[in-house]
Amino acid sequence: MIENSFNRRDFMRVLGWGGATVALSGCGNTSVEDGKEFVTSYVEAADYVIPSIGTYFNTTCAQCDAGCGIMGRVREGRVLKLEGNPTSSINKGKTCGLGQAGVQAHYNPDRVREPLLRNGSKGETITWEKALELIKDKIGVGAGEVAFLTGGVSGHTKVLLKNYLDALGSGHHYAYEAVSPAIIRAANKKAYGVEMPRLRLDKAKVIVSFGADFLGAWVSPVHFAQQYARFRKNAKGERGVLVQIESKMTLTGANADRWLAVRPGTEGILALGLINGLAAAGLSVPKDVLDLIRSYTISRVSKDTGVSTEHMDKLIALLRARSPSLVIAGSAAEGYAHGSQNAAAINLLNKVLGNVGKTVEPPSAISFPQITPTTGSRSALQALNDSMAQGKVKVLFSYGANPVFTAPITMKLKENMKKVPFKVAFAHYMDETAVEADLVLPLNSAMEDWSTSVPEYVAEGAQLNIQQPLMEKLYPGTLGMGDILLALLKQRRPDEYKGYEDFYSYLRGAMVSIKGTLGKASESDDTFWDGALSHGVVKLKDTPISLANKVFSGNLALPAPFAEDGGYPLHLIPAVSASLRDGRNANEPWLQESPDPLTTIVWDSWVEVHPKTAAKLGIVEGDIVEVASKSGAIKAQVYVFPGIHPDVISVPLGYGHEAMGRYAKGVGANVFRMLDPIFDKETGELAMHETRVKITKAGQRVIIVKDEGPAGGNQMGRKIAVRMSSEKANISKEV
Amino acid sequence: MSIVNLLGNWSDFRQQHPSDEHKHLEYKWAMSIDLDACTGCNACSVACYAENNLPVVGKEKFSHGHSHHWMRIERYWDNDGREFADQGAQFLPMLCQQCESAPCETVCPVGATNHTADGLNSQNYHRCVGSRYCNANCPYKVRYFNWYDYPTTENVWPEPMRQQLNPDATVRGKGVMEKCTFCLQRLRAAQSTARTEGRSVRDGEVQTACQQVCPTGAITFGNLVDPEAKVGKQWMQQQVELNKDKQVKDTAEHASKLRGYRVLEELRTYPSVMYLEQLRESAI
Repeated sequence: MIENSFNRRDFMRVLGWGGATVALSGCGNTSVEDGKEFVTSYVEAADYVIPSIGTYFNTTCAQCDAGCGIMGRVREGRVLKLEGNPTSSINKGKTCGLGQAGVQAHYNPDRVREPLLRNGSKGETITWEKALELIKDKIGVGAGEVAFLTGGVSGHTKVLLKNYLDALGSGHHYAYEAVSPAIIRAANKKAYGVEMPRLRLDKAKVIVSFGADFLGAWVSPVHFAQQYARFRKNAKGERGVLVQIESKMTLTGANADRWLAVRPGTEGILALGLINGLAAAGLSVPKDVLDLIRSYTISRVSKDTGVSTEHMDKLIALLRARSPSLVIAGSAAEGYAHGSQNAAAINLLNKVLGNVGKTVEPPSAISFPQITPTTGSRSALQALNDSMAQGKVKVLFSYGANPVFTAPITMKLKENMKKVPFKVAFAHYMDETAVEADLVLPLNSAMEDWSTSVPEYVAEGAQLNIQQPLMEKLYPGTLGMGDILLALLKQRRPDEYKGYEDFYSYLRGAMVSIKGTLGKASESDDTFWDGALSHGVVKLKDTPISLANKVFSGNLALPAPFAEDGGYPLHLIPAVSASLRDGRNANEPWLQESPDPLTTIVWDSWVEVHPKTAAKLGIVEGDIVEVASKSGAIKAQVYVFPGIHPDVISVPLGYGHEAMGRYAKGVGANVFRMLDPIFDKETGELAMHETRVKITKAGQRVIIVKDEGPAGGNQMGRKIAVRMSSEKANISKEV
Repeated sequence: MSIVNLLGNWSDFRQQHPSDEHKHLEYKWAMSIDLDACTGCNACSVACYAENNLPVVGKEKFSHGHSHHWMRIERYWDNDGREFADQGAQFLPMLCQQCESAPCETVCPVGATNHTADGLNSQNYHRCVGSRYCNANCPYKVRYFNWYDYPTTENVWPEPMRQQLNPDATVRGKGVMEKCTFCLQRLRAAQSTARTEGRSVRDGEVQTACQQVCPTGAITFGNLVDPEAKVGKQWMQQQVELNKDKQVKDTAEHASKLRGYRVLEELRTYPSVMYLEQLRESAI
């Protein structure tokens, strides 16, 4: 579009062109991209294009699965900046750093721009017609299943996907999320009767979080952060107390009043010990629970967990004195072979404290089951992998997942994929999975596409999020997932779908057809639809589900704490960072350059090691070490970190891409690959925190690239960041 | 400029900024940041990249200290000697403090950085010759120098990423200093609208990018001259006065329970950013 030299004048010209492109492309004129320069006067500008004035359009953030409403500032036909949509109950006008970087996913220079068909080791450009025809042919040949691998799906994409698989007859849907609270969901279902109850952090006076990083990367962080603000300073000016119990400090742990380092895997034992202490302190506890916890005395639990009796006593006193509280089981507790039991014990503590109905509230059921979210799990990938290994899969579709990057090496997923004759990847980037595919179909970015979604965690009532294009497509060769599914359905059920010219017309028709049930029957179709687009969310009719009342259903057995493993003495915690998550956002440079909040490291992986362990092993900051498990090994730089249990090391997930793009490739090491194949006994989910490792110096030492200065976290006696004890302050009088 | 002039200017400057004789007439932009609400999540920092066309410099240049995060989160530990940082971290969003008596302004040989009537420490990119004296003299280390011509540097804004650049803010070339402007482009747009309508900017009418994004609402921004502005009420309630280098409430005889403070105010920089101390429960 522009030559390398970029000066102010060029910049001004781009501004003009952005708008001109939009105005022109709709009329069939040549755009600037073809090298011909048309400049159209703004007298003929498209609707809403007022030179130099930004207009905000509401849509939905696609950077993670929380489903925050966002509004994009559009100026001269280009989306410039994203803000939170104030009408969305999830994020109420706020976003996180990950959400901010959504524009970099859209404008990313490494996006796939045209359909590519494998020819040897190369991809050849083909047309969409040919690509779709090829899919039809390949599905028609031979026996075997058609496997459709996705991330979590919901909304009308899910409807079309289901219809397509139904139409095929031999289709299987595998919903896979590499980082998901799947074990917690199952445990919640047992304890509360629902997979994700609403957590009211803002109503709690004490929060005890067992490794739930709700301020960083857990479930719906922007929503929880807003609740957290009201928890810290409620309407009466009271301040809630946060206690975080985990083996590796998360962002939430860094904000806790007390961070308790627990021996990995003993979270459940600690929860039962707390119940024991609470019962002794006079809390009424049902008889069957008393029988269960009798042997979990404070002194025994302290020995097992490494948490001092003093801290346990203080926590018990606090929980007795301040009610209601809220106990949350998070990803640190679920990541073990006994993860389900851990979570069950923690949920039991919450129930014994009487928090159900106070800080744990029922979610709403949506009146349209066909659009409710299908959440992903790691066991789904296992099932797909088994099918592929047995040669049962003839066509594999992959959408919204990157299993070649996120599957542990012991699964041999890449090898098993080679047994599938035809693999189709719907992709934004040439990521590790797309590289393995036979056909790569480029998707529109979230800023170019139509879709609807229902997030797993909705803060109030029930809502359907609408994603609408904020600007013209950057590349004519990309297509939306809805449009692709519709085209595939037209191959199977032409009579049913021929009336829909594109996904937009399908979506509009589907939405307008339900306006009556939403109480908008009196509105004209256009008014209803325009209203939905302008708000970015549609409130659905909701019916609250009641939560299970029974405190305990009598089946809980926790194993003894881990035995030491001489060969692999350390526990590996793969950390989920707020920015990179499972690695899907690694090619957005703002996120790579945004320092990790706790270590302030940028552009690389690191190994967090406790100072004591580092001293024992003779390691200092910047040493390159080899971290080896029974299944694999990585090399990374050591960061000596005071927020980690001495028996634990932690490496962040999401780094170590071998493909994807210029900002992600070759940055850091991929810790997914080296996870041991150990599974939660109840759900069959991969136990993410079970891997044991050893570390050895690899000989090299580097200067870590980080934001923190040479003094580390020391203020050198200066009054920079100041802390005071809460009883000294009087926040109720504050403005 | 003679030495007499220089000293005269300096003396005038110290007199004027800030004092009761020279009050701000219509606007005095200021901020307060509640460190008990700040979770250190970095959303403000990324939002600043998006709003102000900050270049991503990459690992090597970052290691040389060439990063351009106008808003950065500083992280401190205070576990002095204890085995763990068991009271968490201390996060501090650090940005240009828009000092009323800014050390950077007095040392600029060409007057590229100076004070605006509404109390901002402005940076004139066209006038800047890149001496970097301002950077050396800034106690907060919030000035960022363009060591390279980032618009033409590979992979900073490759096509089509440059289409994201905010046309309301500039793209800086090689050899100039830059820093947080309190989102000047947003302020000027709001001021212009207000002036057209014959009024002042209302409280809440303009937000900085970092304030707008902050999930916990830790950042408050507004006009200290406006008696209705929340930021002014906070400063007043916390008894933090703009033109003091030592607050009355901090003297021993007035020892108070107030959380408001300004970073390094004893250097007599008179910062426009007030922080509220982080709290930690003593019962646990």
